[in-house]
Amino acid sequence: MDLFPLLLSLRVAALATLITTVIGVSGAYVLARLDFPGRGLLEAVASLPIVLPPTVLGYYLLVVLGRTSPIGRAWEAVTGGPLVFTWQAAVIAAAVASLPYTLRAATAAIAAVDTAYEEAARVCGLHGARLAITVTLPLAARGIVAGISLAFARALGDFGTTIMVAGNIPGRTQTMPIAVYDRVQAFDYATAGLLAAVLAAVAIIVLLGVRWLERSTT
Amino acid sequence: MRGTGRAGGLVLAVAVGTAVLTGCDRGADAVTAERPLLVAAAADLRPAFTELGASFEDATGEEVVFTFGSSGQLAQQLLEGAPMDLFASANAAYVDRVIDGGVGDAATQRTYAFGRLVLWSRADASSRWEDLDALAADGGPTNLAIANPDHAPYGQAAAEALRTAGILDQVRSKLVYGENVADTQRLAATGNADAAIIALSLAVAADEAGEGRWTLLDDRLHEPLQQVLVVTATDPDRASLAGRFIDHVSSDAGRGVMRRFGFLGEGEDPPATWER
Repeated sequence: MDLFPLLLSLRVAALATLITTVIGVSGAYVLARLDFPGRGLLEAVASLPIVLPPTVLGYYLLVVLGRTSPIGRAWEAVTGGPLVFTWQAAVIAAAVASLPYTLRAATAAIAAVDTAYEEAARVCGLHGARLAITVTLPLAARGIVAGISLAFARALGDFGTTIMVAGNIPGRTQTMPIAVYDRVQAFDYATAGLLAAVLAAVAIIVLLGVRWLERSTT
Repeated sequence: MRGTGRAGGLVLAVAVGTAVLTGCDRGADAVTAERPLLVAAAADLRPAFTELGASFEDATGEEVVFTFGSSGQLAQQLLEGAPMDLFASANAAYVDRVIDGGVGDAATQRTYAFGRLVLWSRADASSRWEDLDALAADGGPTNLAIANPDHAPYGQAAAEALRTAGILDQVRSKLVYGENVADTQRLAATGNADAAIIALSLAVAADEAGEGRWTLLDDRLHEPLQQVLVVTATDPDRASLAGRFIDHVSSDAGRGVMRRFGFLGEGEDPPATWER
């Protein structure tokens, strides 16, 4: 079995999870703790990737990241090659597709933290980012971790968005889900079944691992 | 409570660790570094090109990596900036589009084969249909798979053949679309479609596994499936490597492989022994 698709999928999902954790948790803090006009609209827009078909999401990303777009041109100016059809594009696709899972779970978890704890912390002189990091986020950690693990699973399994912006280039952008598709297209059902089983096993191990971490540390 | 915070930190640490451990093992992010020849090839080429790719690697030591799909999807990806060095289309129109879009070198385009359509069904299917007329008659298939005519040349040719035979309107409600011509065969091979109109090359490949029964369709029913390729690499070294692969496909040995999979020169008829 060629290990490249598995390693690529793990790398893409891990990097996407880092991105969604940073953006998702800070975004969730803003959504849960600050009241500003247009908050509901922002929350709805941020949830779009759950609602939109992955191919539609992929099409939008192709427009936003493509060679004629400002982002695509900037990338090409710096790296010398297009951003689309690279593994980096697959990371962006996986991150966009999985961001709402972290964002929504973290928003709900942070909103559920009793503000009395934060008030008490403020009395003790904690403010701003320090307050969030030392008091609010630890209290909301269970929900946040659940959101992060869901986002990781979603990133690991992404097919439609990834194939639109990163294509199916074996050894370069062919992730596990795309390798399964490619093997089915080649009538190689034995390898397709094996890859699918490996992907499922990896996903289950990761999710059980997160659960174990959660339990063993509370 | 601090514990759950630590769990979050651990999850992040695992993510970072995975990213680092799986990172850049094959120089996958190198844009100009040495890398295999990337070929975007129409789905009907998979059996023949997989074999030709292996013999090219043996002969030259250069690795070839194929992306198979419908010619229309591949053309669209090339126009979006996909890094393939060579585009082997199942028709001429998508090569023209790629050249018009400025990503193909018009001087390198060449007709490398003519494709043929077959009416295909599973070897163990309870009923099979010998010709297109039978598809529209009583006892015709419940559904008929063709490749998506919007972006797959074999789908366009199949729809045209049905129209020329005068039965497109009768079978329209039975049509199911495959993503590309190989996907179309899969629909019938898995028993989800009763019959499929696919490429001769895929029918021949399936014969090796004893998987199908098929009838060659008259090629006067549709515009010729003139399969054209073009070099899409801009880097001269990569373009010359692509040229070497084209030479390999056009060599006597290469033509032999193509012919074995049913890719014919202009006006050539397949040997009668291909019919099953």
